[in-house]
This record gives sequence, structure tokens and C-alpha cells, in this order.
Amino acid sequence: MSDTWTNRLSEYLDGDLPAGERTVLEAHLPTCAECSETLAQLRRVVARAQALDDRAPTADLWPAIARHVGVVSLDARRARRRLSFTMPQLAAAAVALALLSGGSAWLLERRPAEGPPSQSTTTATPMLTNAGTYEANPRYAAAVANLERVLAQGRGRLDTATVRVIEKNLGIIDRAIRDAQSALAADPANSYLNLHLAQEMRRKLELLRQAAALAGART
Amino acid sequence: MELTTPGVATLRRDLDQTARDAETADVALAASGDGRAFERLYRTHVTRIHSLARRMTGEEHADDLTQDVFVRAWTKLSTFRAEAAFGTWLHRLAVNVILARRTTLGTERGRYDDSEGVLDGVSSRPHAPDLSLDFEEAIGRLPDGAREVFVLHDIEGYRHEEIADLLGIVPGTSKSQLHHARMALRRHLE
Repeated sequence: MSDTWTNRLSEYLDGDLPAGERTVLEAHLPTCAECSETLAQLRRVVARAQALDDRAPTADLWPAIARHVGVVSLDARRARRRLSFTMPQLAAAAVALALLSGGSAWLLERRPAEGPPSQSTTTATPMLTNAGTYEANPRYAAAVANLERVLAQGRGRLDTATVRVIEKNLGIIDRAIRDAQSALAADPANSYLNLHLAQEMRRKLELLRQAAALAGART
Repeated sequence: MELTTPGVATLRRDLDQTARDAETADVALAASGDGRAFERLYRTHVTRIHSLARRMTGEEHADDLTQDVFVRAWTKLSTFRAEAAFGTWLHRLAVNVILARRTTLGTERGRYDDSEGVLDGVSSRPHAPDLSLDFEEAIGRLPDGAREVFVLHDIEGYRHEEIADLLGIVPGTSKSQLHHARMALRRHLE
């Protein structure tokens, strides 16, 4: 079965046939049962293709991907009991954080007077000892800026008490970051300070993420 | 004060915006090295990416390719610009990874064979209870070139010019391959 028009039917169906040929084909179709039938079938093929459902992989591929990129799976974290917080808990955490931060600042101010820390007490994991570069990382800065923008856009959806708690927490963390940075300026190689700074910066990112998600979820 | 109920379209728009905001936040976090955010992105998009890989290359390569796509995405997140949706960016990345891999899969031979005989492999099959699966299987039996063009055009919505660019062919070849694929697949509608 092959008509001179058969091989042009897909182009006609997709609207890709030049106007002149289109006119001629449209005159031909009512007179050719074969072309009309083929065109109807092609239409059904396209409709079927567009209606196909996606299927998830039968196995979870994330563990292998996580190994490749060097991150830990959510499931593994959940297995280690994942923590989540309500707003009252966040408020309580703000108080605790303020005390902790104040204590850290006090320790940081005292430390230079006590002389340099001994190597045996300042061991930290390699990942956490480069807070300076972590902070200077443009990806970190971009992530914080992006989350702050999302939070600002969704801020109107949050009640004022929630906004107050979030801002208070952010203020505490920012102060802790500034304190650590000041202390690090005097003692750049201090592993404890690097660790403390990295923790505070990660804490800020996580709080911003939670707040942005909260702002997005309140409709 | 009179309270009004938002319409369905408004609610849907709000939900879409919320999802986009959450995804924007996750992309930013993942770009800064947050593995949990990246896992959330993975779980949102894995079904679509895996289906694309399966249809383009076959079931046996789909898992490996899907992993490659997400590993590549992790390393290239810093190049993502928020002008496009993350899903669109990821999909284009996936197409590139899949097409780059096909040259190592030893499937080049007969890729753009225009002869009628090349479609004989897509024979009619007995009716299966799940017609959609049968149709998917028929797509998998298409010659490589026809299958790639069919998947990209009729399932994924790419234009012939884009397909030609991706596959390194001319748009006329893309149109011709698409027509051959459709002609072969119509047997699986009966």
C-alpha cells in the first residue's frame, strides 16, 4: 500500500506541510480511503504516545547515586532518628541557642588569653576544618541569597509571631558567625573555630530552608 | 468582612507556585552541597528521567543512565540558572547524557536506515492485557534512529529542528524517521 501521499501524512498531521501541498492533499483525502484510514491511524499513534504514563524504576537508585556524589540518603538519616521542630520548640531552641552562642562568644574571647590550643584538643574532621573557604564559596552565598529571596516573597503568608521567631534565630546565628569570624581573623588556623563557624553557617542554611518551606506551605 | 472562596484555578496556581518555591530552595541548597535537598530533587524527577532513558535506550540501560544523569546534574548544579525550570534543565541534561552514551552502546549501525525492511522487527504482537505496555514494547523494538526521534518528538514534545540539532542530522531526516516510526507503531493499535 503506497500512495504518493502516504509518506507525507505525518508532515500533514504535524502542520509541517507547505500550504500548496496541504491544499492538494486535503482535496485528495476524501477521494482516497487508504490515505484517510492511514491518517486516522497516525493520529491515534500520536494520541497514544502523548497519553503514555511514566514508570518509576523498579529499584531505588538513590543509594548508588548518593555513594557517587558522597552524600547520605534520607532513609539512612531517618534510621538515625530524624528531628523535626514545631514553632514552640523553635522558640525554645532560640533561647537555648542564645545561651549557647553567648557561651561560645565568651569562650572565644577568653581563648587568646589562654594561649594557643594544643593540637590534641582541636582535632576536627577534614570536611569541617575549612569553614573559611566554605563561607567564601559563591555557591553558599548564592544559596543563602536565594533562600532569603524565597523567604521574603513568602513572608506575607506567615504570622507575625512566626516571623519574629525566625528573625530572632537568624539574628542569633548571624551574631555567632560574626563572633567566630572575628576570632578566626586573629587565629586563622584554629580548628575549633573553623568547626564552630562551619556549624553555624550550616545551621543558618538549614533554618532558612525550613523557613522558606514554611512560607511556601502557608497558602 | 465578606469571605470569598478561591477558585480551583487559583488554588492550583498557588500550589504550583508553592512547589516551584520549594524546588527553588532545594536547588539552591543542593548547589551548596546539601545532599538531602538533592535527594528530594531526585525523588521528584526520577520517574520522568528513568522513563525517558528506558524509552530511548531500553530497559537494560535505563538504571545506569538515570544514575549517570543525576550524578552529572550534581556536578553541574552550579551552572543552572533559574530562568528555566529545574525540570526543564534536568530533562535537557538527561537527553544529552543519553545521546552521548548511545555511541558507546554499540547501537550506531542501522540508526537512520530508511528502507522499508528495517521496520520488520516491529512486528504485530498478540493483544496484551496492558495495551500501554504493549505499545511501550513496540517503541522499544523500533530501530534506534526512529525510536529516538519518535520519543523526542511525540512523547517529549521536541521540535524537528531541536531533534536534528541534538542528533546531528537534518530536520528532513528527523521527519522521515518519525513517519516510519508512526507507520510501524500503528499496528499496535489494532
